[in-house]
Amino acid sequence: MKDSELDVLLSRVVKPARYTNGEWNAVHKDPALARVRVALVYPDVYEVGMSHLGLQILYHVLNSHPDLLAERAFAPWPDMEAELRSRGLPLTSLESRTPLREFDIIGITLPYELTYTNILNVLDLAGVPIRAADRAEDDPLIIGGGPGAVNPEPMAGFFDAILVGEGEEAILEIAQASTAPSRAERLERLARIAGVYVPSMYDATFDGAGPRGAVVPRNGAPARIERRIVEDLDAAPFPTKQFVPFLETVHSRVTLEIMRGCARGCRFCQAGATYRPRRMRSVETLLRQAEQAIAATGYDEISLLAFTSVDHSDIGELATKLVDRFGPQGVGISLPSLRADAFSVELANSIQRVRKTGLTFAPEAATDRLRRIIRKQLTEDDLFAAAEAAFTSGWSRLKLYFMIGLPTETDEDVAAIGDLVHRMVGFGRGALGGRQGRLQIGVSVATFVSKPHTPFQWTPQCSQEELVRKLDVLQKTLRGHHVKLAWNDPGSSLLEAAISRGDRRVGRAIEAAWRTGARFDAWGEHFSITRWEQAFDEAGLRLEDYANVALAYDDRLAWDHVSCGIEKGALRAEAEAALGGSES
Amino acid sequence: MGQLICRYRKGTEVRWISHLDVKRTLERAMRRAELPLELTQGHNPHPKMSFGPPLPLGATGDAELLAFHLSEAADPNAIKQRLNTQLPRGIEVVEVWGAPAHKKKETFGDVDLAEYLITIGGPVKAEQVSAGVRRLLESKELIVQRGGERPEREVDLRPMIHSLEVVRSGPEEAVLRARLTTGSHGGARPQEIVQLLGLENGEHVILYHRTGVYAGAEATAPKSRGVWRRWSRSRSGPGRS
Repeated sequence: MKDSELDVLLSRVVKPARYTNGEWNAVHKDPALARVRVALVYPDVYEVGMSHLGLQILYHVLNSHPDLLAERAFAPWPDMEAELRSRGLPLTSLESRTPLREFDIIGITLPYELTYTNILNVLDLAGVPIRAADRAEDDPLIIGGGPGAVNPEPMAGFFDAILVGEGEEAILEIAQASTAPSRAERLERLARIAGVYVPSMYDATFDGAGPRGAVVPRNGAPARIERRIVEDLDAAPFPTKQFVPFLETVHSRVTLEIMRGCARGCRFCQAGATYRPRRMRSVETLLRQAEQAIAATGYDEISLLAFTSVDHSDIGELATKLVDRFGPQGVGISLPSLRADAFSVELANSIQRVRKTGLTFAPEAATDRLRRIIRKQLTEDDLFAAAEAAFTSGWSRLKLYFMIGLPTETDEDVAAIGDLVHRMVGFGRGALGGRQGRLQIGVSVATFVSKPHTPFQWTPQCSQEELVRKLDVLQKTLRGHHVKLAWNDPGSSLLEAAISRGDRRVGRAIEAAWRTGARFDAWGEHFSITRWEQAFDEAGLRLEDYANVALAYDDRLAWDHVSCGIEKGALRAEAEAALGGSES
Repeated sequence: MGQLICRYRKGTEVRWISHLDVKRTLERAMRRAELPLELTQGHNPHPKMSFGPPLPLGATGDAELLAFHLSEAADPNAIKQRLNTQLPRGIEVVEVWGAPAHKKKETFGDVDLAEYLITIGGPVKAEQVSAGVRRLLESKELIVQRGGERPEREVDLRPMIHSLEVVRSGPEEAVLRARLTTGSHGGARPQEIVQLLGLENGEHVILYHRTGVYAGAEATAPKSRGVWRRWSRSRSGPGRS
């Protein structure tokens, strides 16, 4: 594409800087000199994808090798898609504006279910056949990875290979495999890499409707795909030359990954179940990385990334040392994930120099009974102690995350959310005294989605009617001043649940939805449940058979060929412990 | 110590970066260059910076202005070199000089005129362009609609066009030079001039390049040496230090 041609495109779209590149710390290599060229794609808009740490890690690992090259691409916003399609232009990488189909590998993140239509759209705009079976000898290898890979089946038909687990080491093995002389040999070599699933070497069989069935290997491919894990996180490569985008992105700051995995064992949580074991980086390593990253980016904030950053065993020492080192030059430290207790709030208070706009806690459920069922280790006393610490430290806005539709949930549990929030409002008014006018309790209510590899993988999501009724109960009990309620669209929760527990047939519905225009399904303004109902219908499937059906413990499940380290028997024991109401 | 003023170039590589994005980019480059920036007091300290008039998205410029404060004395030329090692392609510091800050006045508050080169690419009829320019200059008023989705309002651009001339025109492109009122009290946008000429019809690739900004006193002065000097010398109070 000539520059003037690109400029015409850019003059017609919103936020053209999404497509122009040249950001600080972007790597520009000569594609002609690279032995393997990889396009890394995040299937959402630039500002979201650029905040994804996984993409930066792989970009760094690949580009650190002199004969490998990685460039980026993101899902073009619908205005740009229309411009590309009307002119017949292919989607290109950002750095060298090379058409994606000219790369050896297109690596695509599977962040979560509602981004999947964007993946098909990216492939189509790249001029690559969307179905793996239709690809020719010279087409790039389409390789997936990321959180969604733990149930690869819904997207299995579109990928040549999917990496289950962490990519720091595997990505180099994958790049090496891509140099084999023929496509068939490349796939065979990929299948021999630990953690890599090559769907075309497996047959999927189905036990009736819904996600019951099995995926069985042919020709010696491994029967079980074991999730890849980086053993020594402290020694693992970490990018300190982090991107500094021109555009304001979701996270415009240095990200330090202080810990990976979580030891808390909440039964609904897929990340907690699939990122095990918990591994920490040492204070020494983190200080060195912080030093390098601040010098390389010029950011004025460092965010300490972890599922729960205060669970790092040396968090106090780390926070103090970072504040002492970077405070004087105006660099702030932030904790993105707080535990709801007084210790966390006091720690946050001691390090955060930024305006005290809001703190977020996730009680998930409003009764001690239901929190025991989901194994959320938090009592109401903890929560109120955290709130008290927050109010006395100067915060006046709290955000509380809850879920509805949890297993065994009754209307009393739902109404208890309203009761808890009202008591929190009363408590806050007392604690804030003269500043009570500023009090705001944001209540964010997500819908429970049953996720593979968790103890609740057998549990159904409640029906749409039931969900609407529960939301009604919630809204009736949650009124008044100082409260702001937000909830998920029930339709998008249904779709998320159906794809989450989807099998290989669900891929047909995803393709049908994409063909009828589904894009950016995670963005409310683009989502249509009617379109998805029609797409499932066209594929001969029903959303409800995947989302709303209780599975039996001895059913064969569509994702049983993937192992995330916890045996099915152990998950079952947890599930049985939960539904008996006792803590395991 | 004190205030430094920097003139930088915004090139084609970054023409699609908004003014706000350029501001953030420069602030981060200053941090990477480890300049001894003077920070504001308060909860969320940030460097004291002020900018000349913003460029519209898609435009390039040679006369972009930035003022900032250092907490210790530094050689302006060394500052320029350090900054340039930390700036992404397309943004380049051309010159840095010291200038005492005025307590009451905005540093660039007196900038009220900008000069643009407007390149109209594609098949252009020379007669049509020059006739259009004559028509505009001969008009008593040139009313345009502004406001987008909000209730529209009418603005007369004629008094804001200080000069408009055809620099050259050929079969491939035509280049116009326009001197337009700019600044916080309102101004004319170069795109509006192209609109009035009837050339913004999708057939042309149009480039806007700002060559200079001026302060009132010298708005009509003939060519002098550097663009920024024209701005600098025209300021009230002490001149260049």
